[in-house]
Amino acid sequence: MNVQRPRSAMPRRGAEQAPLPGAPLGPPRLLKSAGFRFAVLFAAMFACAAVALVAVLWWATAGALDRQTDAAVRADAVALAERWREAGVTGLAEAIEERLAVDVESESIYLLMDAEGNRRLAGNLDRWPPNMAPEEVWFRTRVLHDGLAAEARLHRVDLPGLRLLVGRDETERSQLRRLLTEGVVWASSAVAIFAMVGAWLIRAALQARMRPTFLTTAAIAGGDLSSRVALSGRGDEFDRLAQTLNMMLDRIGTLMEGVRGVSDAIAHDLRTPIARARAKLEDALATAPDEEALKAAVEQGIADLDNISRIFQALLRIAEAEAGARRAAFAPFDLAAVLADAAEIYEAMAEARGQRLTTELPSSLEIMGDRDLLLQAVANLLDNAIKFTPPDGAIALSARRLGLAVEVAVADNGPGIAPEDRSHAGERFFRADKARATPGSGLGLSLVQAVAHLHAGEVRLEDAMPGQTPPGLRVVVRLPAP
Amino acid sequence: MRQPLAALLLTHLLALPVAAEPGPRVTTDTVEYCGSLAARLASLPAAEREPSRSLGAEGKRLCDTGHVRTGIAKLRRAMRAAQAAPATP
Repeated sequence: MNVQRPRSAMPRRGAEQAPLPGAPLGPPRLLKSAGFRFAVLFAAMFACAAVALVAVLWWATAGALDRQTDAAVRADAVALAERWREAGVTGLAEAIEERLAVDVESESIYLLMDAEGNRRLAGNLDRWPPNMAPEEVWFRTRVLHDGLAAEARLHRVDLPGLRLLVGRDETERSQLRRLLTEGVVWASSAVAIFAMVGAWLIRAALQARMRPTFLTTAAIAGGDLSSRVALSGRGDEFDRLAQTLNMMLDRIGTLMEGVRGVSDAIAHDLRTPIARARAKLEDALATAPDEEALKAAVEQGIADLDNISRIFQALLRIAEAEAGARRAAFAPFDLAAVLADAAEIYEAMAEARGQRLTTELPSSLEIMGDRDLLLQAVANLLDNAIKFTPPDGAIALSARRLGLAVEVAVADNGPGIAPEDRSHAGERFFRADKARATPGSGLGLSLVQAVAHLHAGEVRLEDAMPGQTPPGLRVVVRLPAP
Repeated sequence: MRQPLAALLLTHLLALPVAAEPGPRVTTDTVEYCGSLAARLASLPAAEREPSRSLGAEGKRLCDTGHVRTGIAKLRRAMRAAQAAPATP
């Protein structure tokens, strides 16, 4: 039955004509773009890694050389102080001259002066460095070496009546530092370029991966509910997101189909009994010979309206079960006791029709769920079985635990349901051809199926007596055990 | 030109501050020191042995021809060799 989609179910077109502020039309502004922020984050991380690398490199090269120089100068100063203690000023001066005489690298710097700084006693500096704070022990200064200004690292040692400078010319180390600095500058330029290119690639990749989702959601917002997010096939987070979105859209589609189905069913299947009740009442009003006949017609009308009301209640219950609204009321209970109660209620009805209702129930069958809904579902199954079983027929209600599941089965020896009709048996208002003559609304199995799904279970229809005629019907409700 | 300039600037920024005015002069890069070094070498017993002798001679020749720095380096190598030589031949 092809039913036109109700106008109210269509997405509002106004969303296209008057976009909300910040609606995803066109590329987002740069600073609001997640892709841009990811790109900036990538560039920052890349730059941080580069800075850390340079710091380590610097510490391991120039820093190591500086530390070596300081260690050598300190050891030299300690040795000279020891020499002074052993051989006095003369021995110290001679030691300095000896060191200078074998300094092939021409790096060593010494200066020995009296405490006042007036008299130069030994060394290769012509005077004490100016602007040298007395409390400074380690310092750098510029000296004139081979006619060129050179950087020197100096250590001051004060001895009784003397002051001594021990140091090294750091020209070569300064050159190394300069070379390293140049390398760092060039490398920084390369890092900046790589960071920008990487950031741009990340942004482009993110936009490319988000584009199918964006297009799909935009299409759905525009009214095309059949649109789905295209998968890249990589199976990554974006594909998982797309799959979830598609599942969500499928679910929404199914729910909308269900809503449409209920609307159609109400429109078509309830119109008939309402019209029939109205016609009966109208006919009675026009043709009733006496008050008694009129009263009987009114009573019949009330009964018809009660029946319609029951159908509405059943529909609401099914909708409630399908929406999962009652899941919060789940509690543990003994299903065996509920089944026994149901059997007791329907046993009398079966006996009245000359049928035999047998049970095969365990002493206890703990389950987690909605007691009332499950009782209603079992009652529907028993009611169906009694209605469709011939007067001398047999109905069996059984239940058992099967591994991690609980199975409840209602079997009868009625006409059964043809295999081709079984897939439709759970649909609202569906009635098989064989059942047309039997009173009913076509909602019983719908409720059973909705209740089973609410409990994460399933409903299975099968022949109660395969190969026999009639085959009977066995309805098995399989629920997960707690 | 920008990169060397930037490198120079960075070098100056990274380097520890040093005194602006010219500092003291190193005195072991002069012809006089070359002479005193040659005299110190001559006073060593192993100065006449190789390689000290040839290194010393080469150092003095370089100093005399104006290559003071190289000459001093040679003489220092000669000193080092002479000090490292055994006391008796």
